[in-house]
Amino acid sequence: MPTEWKLFADLAERAGDKHVTVDAGAGDTVGAALTELVDDRPDLEGRVLTDDGELRSQINVLRNGTNVLVEEEGLETELEEGDELALFPPVSGG
Amino acid sequence: MYVLGICDRGADRDAVKRAVDRTVDCLERRGRVGVVSYDATIADGQAIHESNVVGGDVSYELGADGDWAASGTGLNVANALDRLAVECEYAVVTGISDLRYPTVLIGDRASDHSDDDVLAAVDAPGDLDVDAVADALEETEPHRTLESLVARVKRSPNADRSGAIATFTGRVRAKDDPDDARTEYLEFEKYEGVADERMAALEADLEEREGVLEVELHHRTGVVRDGEDIVFVVVLAGHRTEAFRTVEDGINRLKDEVPLFKKEVTVDDEFWVHERT
Repeated sequence: MPTEWKLFADLAERAGDKHVTVDAGAGDTVGAALTELVDDRPDLEGRVLTDDGELRSQINVLRNGTNVLVEEEGLETELEEGDELALFPPVSGG
Repeated sequence: MYVLGICDRGADRDAVKRAVDRTVDCLERRGRVGVVSYDATIADGQAIHESNVVGGDVSYELGADGDWAASGTGLNVANALDRLAVECEYAVVTGISDLRYPTVLIGDRASDHSDDDVLAAVDAPGDLDVDAVADALEETEPHRTLESLVARVKRSPNADRSGAIATFTGRVRAKDDPDDARTEYLEFEKYEGVADERMAALEADLEEREGVLEVELHHRTGVVRDGEDIVFVVVLAGHRTEAFRTVEDGINRLKDEVPLFKKEVTVDDEFWVHERT
């Protein structure tokens, strides 16, 4: 069962789309879904990952509205059936 | 207040009027409805209705049971909607072809559109499923103003324990410095669903505070032009100290926690604000 990424602001522009579906699904990790997302998207990869492949500090990853870096196991968080993932830069409302 | 435009796409005047009547009848069963009719042929101080009042730039005629009629000069559609927002749940606008609100199109050219804001496009007013339009309208972003949010908190069942209302209004700043390139507009992108959940959770969290009775947060999305309002925080509280603190914490937390993204368009540049700060 595939998983959908929602992308926002300049990350969507770099990816060329606001929605990207990846093959990673239940039992895989958020990190695996991220690797698949940035594969073939070097502009997005450079924006969200450091040269060492670590997630840049200002990038947010949400799983079903919950920040996986703060409230879950980060990129090791395991996906469940039908999860919605979101990737976005620092928020800038107001 | 939800705003709905009803626009002519090849329909005659009577057909548009029938569509407005049917829609207003349906909305009136759900809440108070305002109607704004724009007619560019009314000009040069020509009064729309014969009035019994002599003189005055704005005049009201009032009856004993609260019925009234008004006429005046110097009002545009945007201002009229701002006024209606204080006391109406819905507004219907006719006579404008390119309204920045959800619309219904009537006439034989109605189906020829590619606009996401179109809730229904029908040949004749009888084809309009007014309940479906009303349901779809309630899924759109409501029109809110500072005054409408203040009026809303004043209607709170807790209002009799309130001695203070404090508010914050964030607006589009054309320039930070006199030499800056002028900002034309900001465009806000929202994480649909999650942004609203976070705002609701933030309101609930602030309302838990001792002495805080009601909190209203509203943030516009899409294009917001130079000089227009973007965001409101309105707090109804027992006393001023908690009202002021909650307004400040409310706007700071909204800016930190709610997934909204701001693109700035100036006269000579365009950029995502988070990439410049």
